[in-house]
Amino acid sequence: MSSTISAQTSQSAKVADNGRTPRAGKRDVWLVFWIVPAFYTAFGVIFFALARVMPPPRPDVTTDQMVHFFHAHGLTIKIGFGVLVLIVGGAGVANGIVVYHMKRMTVGSVMAYAYLGSMSIGALPGCLLVAFCFLTAVYRPGRDRQVLALLYDLGLLSYVGSLGCFTTAYFAFAVAILYDRNNIFPKWLAYVSVWQIVTEVLAVPVFVSKAGPFAWNGSIAFWMGTVIFGFWLSCVIVFLMKANERQPVDEPPLD
Amino acid sequence: MTTDAARTTTFVWIVLSAITIASWWLAPGHTRGAAAVASVPITVAVVLLGFIKGRLIIQYFMEVRTAPRWLKLFTDAWLTTLWVAVLAIYLY
Amino acid sequence: MGDFVAHTEQTAGEFDTAAASSVSSTDGQRGVHLPGDVHMWVMVLGDLIIFGAYFIIFMVYRAMKPQEFLTSQEHLNINIGVLNTLVLLASSWFIARSVQAARADDHTQALRLTYFGGLCGVAFTAIKAYEWSTKIAQGYTISSNDFFMFYYMLTGVHLFHVSLGLLILGITVRELRNPRRRRPFMVESGATYWHMVDLLWIVIFALLYVMR
Repeated sequence: MSSTISAQTSQSAKVADNGRTPRAGKRDVWLVFWIVPAFYTAFGVIFFALARVMPPPRPDVTTDQMVHFFHAHGLTIKIGFGVLVLIVGGAGVANGIVVYHMKRMTVGSVMAYAYLGSMSIGALPGCLLVAFCFLTAVYRPGRDRQVLALLYDLGLLSYVGSLGCFTTAYFAFAVAILYDRNNIFPKWLAYVSVWQIVTEVLAVPVFVSKAGPFAWNGSIAFWMGTVIFGFWLSCVIVFLMKANERQPVDEPPLD
Repeated sequence: MTTDAARTTTFVWIVLSAITIASWWLAPGHTRGAAAVASVPITVAVVLLGFIKGRLIIQYFMEVRTAPRWLKLFTDAWLTTLWVAVLAIYLY
Repeated sequence: MGDFVAHTEQTAGEFDTAAASSVSSTDGQRGVHLPGDVHMWVMVLGDLIIFGAYFIIFMVYRAMKPQEFLTSQEHLNINIGVLNTLVLLASSWFIARSVQAARADDHTQALRLTYFGGLCGVAFTAIKAYEWSTKIAQGYTISSNDFFMFYYMLTGVHLFHVSLGLLILGITVRELRNPRRRRPFMVESGATYWHMVDLLWIVIFALLYVMR
């Protein structure tokens, strides 16, 4: 119970006898934290294995091939994206806990709300639109081929092309970290967020490119973006955990 | 106030600018009307000059010359890997 | 907004094995000194790796259509390319000199040199905008072919880095103007980032404009 955890100042945690910082943090925050890796793991399973959207199928295919894609993966699309619709709130939770720690920074709440707003805007095209497009596509057998082709394009263009929506969020995140005197997150994480913005700038040509590195399945627009996103997300999860640990149990609630 | 460091920096800048102007001669668009022709010697020269310019900027402007060893190794490795890869892909 | 502080002296001290940031009339860094702070180097080295990947991917696609890339390259204006390179090299020279001035506590000079460096950055941007507009007027757009897509994307993302660099130089100016700040690691960090921008352009210039 909290009585066994030594009192800590809000500025720095006392170091235990063996030199390691004792695990602190608030119980409810920990509960919320564990939702984040759980959600993203489920997200990965859905998008990689079930919906077959990662890596995305090619843009430079015929209508026949697009139709075939939906036939071949109809069942797993229904299962995967059906589940996604239920658990997509996990993305909101992930954003929420980042915002929670951002509000503990000395820059105040503005950047936190910018982050939250921008991430929320990105969530619809970022993963839900492709889910609904593909679910619609496989809903009725014998759907018109041109309609299927449209849903294919709409789903994948929005999925990869919506990367830019998150630019503002990463920018706010980077600025907040760099100006924060409480060192909630390490400074270099701000620069990793800048890399995220760079990869997003490079994903803009998906709207004009049908093949090659800048298409929605391209080595630059998709693959490099995904690799760097994976790295960024891993870092964020690790440092959310550390931020939780370093948070004193008796820190007053945020405004 | 001209110190040793300032003189060195200026000298490096002049060398870099000179190499850039030399690249002008190597570049395709320089001779108008001539058809675009691949040229292995020119590209090799470009790669070499690119490596040299990069190293000058890193060692002198970015002061890696007086930086910890890990940084020297990393930047040299990056330069080498990049330009070797560029040349290798070009020649393949 | 708060100060651009939030940097523990410990981090800089870890790598500052010799107290080489002392002022001397001959300047020059004796011993081993990591300019700026390790966080900025994470940014720079990571960015170099990311761009390295872009450059290699460019070369791979070039190898698939060498003739198309060669003929498309002819339509680039080498004069503008050379001019842009010289402008950016000059800007790096100004910034390198400004760091030396800051170390010698000549902050007026450091400020002036930073302004000149930034001015060159603005000039680079203007020249690049002009170059793009002439290309577009001639009908070479991002969807013209693979070469031009790479051209616009590489120079575009580089221009994004230049804008970021101008923002960072602005922060350096703010740092230098305030007698209560003027922390060496801040000035050095900004310079390190700016030199990276220069370095990346050197590669872009070589790959897009010169090599054949």
